[in-house]
Amino acid sequence: MKGFATKAIHGSLLKPEAHGSLRPPVYDSVAFEFSDSRQIQLAFEGRKPAHAYSRITNPTVDELEQRVRLLADAFGVVAVSSGMAAISNAILTLAEAGTNIVTTRWIFGNTYSLFEHTLKPWGLESRYVDMTDEKALADAIDDKTRAIFLEVITNPQMQVADIDHIVAIAHEHGVPVVLDGTVTTPYLFRSRDHGVDLEVISSTKYISGGATSMGGLILDNGLFDWKKNPKLAPYAKQYGPGALIAALRHEVYRNVGACQSPHNASLQILGLETLSLRIDKSSANAISLAKWLEKQPQVKVVNYPWLESSPYYARAKHLFPHGVGGILTFDLASHDTCFAFQDALRLIRRATNINDNKTLIIHPSSTIFCEFSEEQKAAMGVSDSMLRLSVGIEDEEDLIEDLQRGLVAL
Amino acid sequence: MQLIVNGTTETYPAAALTITELLKLAQVESPEMVSVQLNGEFVERANYGNASLKENDEVDFLYFMGGGAR
Repeated sequence: MKGFATKAIHGSLLKPEAHGSLRPPVYDSVAFEFSDSRQIQLAFEGRKPAHAYSRITNPTVDELEQRVRLLADAFGVVAVSSGMAAISNAILTLAEAGTNIVTTRWIFGNTYSLFEHTLKPWGLESRYVDMTDEKALADAIDDKTRAIFLEVITNPQMQVADIDHIVAIAHEHGVPVVLDGTVTTPYLFRSRDHGVDLEVISSTKYISGGATSMGGLILDNGLFDWKKNPKLAPYAKQYGPGALIAALRHEVYRNVGACQSPHNASLQILGLETLSLRIDKSSANAISLAKWLEKQPQVKVVNYPWLESSPYYARAKHLFPHGVGGILTFDLASHDTCFAFQDALRLIRRATNINDNKTLIIHPSSTIFCEFSEEQKAAMGVSDSMLRLSVGIEDEEDLIEDLQRGLVAL
Repeated sequence: MQLIVNGTTETYPAAALTITELLKLAQVESPEMVSVQLNGEFVERANYGNASLKENDEVDFLYFMGGGAR
């Protein structure tokens, strides 16, 4: 199997299915029994590959993990309950009080809130730099830095940093790169090929198959020597390259309890099977809509990395030759104009998700970023006149007709 | 040859063994998913074929994936 779609559809059924079911069964069981006392002891000691309790592992969730592993050519994958669970579990595994991570203010609002409001009081420092300023990035790293964290394409600013160069800087300093690859998935961006050490994904988005279920994924690409991380060094002594996955499985992921349900995993396995088709269609729709919006006099600016007007156009074409997904942002005259535009739409839904099959719109400043001050929002690249469009897989002409309806209302 | 495998003393009908041979002889499940510790130290997968085991060595097979035999 070579092709992405073939692997996504025919990927690993871990064990022969008793009834020949072509879909992986939903193992809707909390616990799994063992033939004798010794076997359950070995399972608890990690000396036997068996499922014991679904908070730790579950056969349906395992199938999702193995299929993603196959698609991304990752060393190991852990599926979790949401994209935020993927980020929090990854950071909690890599870092601790008295250490720091280097990141940027141009990230998803809830991620910034996690770093600033949730983890900071526990003693983890987050250092914010412009990821396109490589000197600032290098200067921010010190011997307490445990990770560089960034998004593959920032949401909602649509910035594309030079990921290859950032990886080189991080590795020069012996620090792993954690990349949020939600909006590209391994279909548009194979993070392993670019030296990224850990990828986190909200599988709630594209992978779920159309906003069917919550989920997150942590992918260890098997590139980083975890002995260099003081917290993971004891695990590296036992598990070698499996140190991070072992630390998640035997400690952080197990203890935090952010497991994915087998029902969600089943939906996400099905979503994987049509992932490439849906990303191709939403990417094609998005570039068409971005070009159309750019021509409208009421629209001040359109941000989409595959637009020739984007400062990231050349880099995006290089990093993402097959497309950049379905997210774009555009600015109208003001906050009130944005609200009037949104309220005139009939097809495009006002909702806070991305990468659904349906096209969605939101005013980020008054919603996702509402907990932040105007100064913070400005630093985060979120203006009051910005709208974010998550372009779905409908017919392009119907979407343009609806956008036209919004502009007419202004 | 006597070895302590996963905490249990086992006897194998061979005078000398490598880790690769022990994985087969002990019928270790999902060997591609296992980490091997020899006397408490992690052994690189690339060295399984030339890691010679001695009498009474302690060998542990540890699974970092937590489940999911292929």
